[in-house]
Amino acid sequence: MDLLFFFEWLDTSALADISKAYGGVFAVVETFHTSAMVLLGGMILTGDLRLMNVLMRDIPSEVVIRNTEKWFGFALVVMILSGIFMMSAVAMKLYYNVFFFSKMVGLATGVFFFYVIRKPLLNQEHALINPWTLKLIGGTSILIWLSVAASGRWIGFS
Amino acid sequence: MLNELLFRFAQWLDTHQWSTGLHESYYMYGWVESTHVLTLMLFLGMLVVIDLRMLGVAFKDTPVSTIADRLDKPMMIGFTVMVVTGFVLFYAIPVRTTTSIWFRIKVVLIIAAAINVFLLRRVIKKSGHTWDNDPVPPKRIRIAAGLSIAFWTGVIMTGRMIAYDWWDCHKEMPYFMYWAAGCVNELAAYE
Repeated sequence: MDLLFFFEWLDTSALADISKAYGGVFAVVETFHTSAMVLLGGMILTGDLRLMNVLMRDIPSEVVIRNTEKWFGFALVVMILSGIFMMSAVAMKLYYNVFFFSKMVGLATGVFFFYVIRKPLLNQEHALINPWTLKLIGGTSILIWLSVAASGRWIGFS
Repeated sequence: MLNELLFRFAQWLDTHQWSTGLHESYYMYGWVESTHVLTLMLFLGMLVVIDLRMLGVAFKDTPVSTIADRLDKPMMIGFTVMVVTGFVLFYAIPVRTTTSIWFRIKVVLIIAAAINVFLLRRVIKKSGHTWDNDPVPPKRIRIAAGLSIAFWTGVIMTGRMIAYDWWDCHKEMPYFMYWAAGCVNELAAYE
């Protein structure tokens, strides 16, 4: 499916008028995007490293997961909203950028993995889950989100 | 005087072949900068978890000291990588970075965050961890945690702003801005 129509629409939208005309607004939104990335990354790392039995071994993993999931959701919403705004400023450039699409695929995979696999699985008592399954979940999650952050950073260099 | 010294030091660094090589290297500079940004998640990500606990909005059932102690090591690993890559990035573009108003504000904010941590540790030591298990710690601890988040958010913001050239020395600016950014040549032209 060709998404060109969406990028063309975004490029001429009211949002693009603001993001292109006001560099200061774009920069501020960009810093919100980065701050949300820090929050999201911190929650992912804390939760997943606990699942992998690397961090906070004496704190039940259920407690760590419960406390990090809420903040993950908040950070994700801020990241997506600020991301759409940033995207509108350079929509046509991003349409031809391979790192942007690799980030979007990573993001979709990460959100799917988090809400469809990780969260439902971890809602049950963790003692009932094979420890290797927990480690696999944690490792996979870290890899997915790291790829999202890395490809996002590389958009700026391409 | 200080501006002059910093500027001469930056110019001296700029004469190094390694500095130019790093700046002009497409992949190496990108890798170092990406590592610097991605390590934010390790260092500040862990710090945010500790601060949120001290604000009383996360991990309410876990003692503050337990959270701080367990996350200290990965946080310090992240901090070390950030500092090393930060110095390398500075080394790659020393003159422009030294005369960037954003970089200067960033350094001030990092110092402010360090003082805040120092004072917080003193308060924690003095209070003898009497509130360690409290779901919501005392007000002054919450203020320090809030300040910590604010300072580090400022560091992220100003760090990102360094990339923008709105107030670079070659732009026309008021005298104060030239002074604050340390634009030595432009200041000399004023006098």
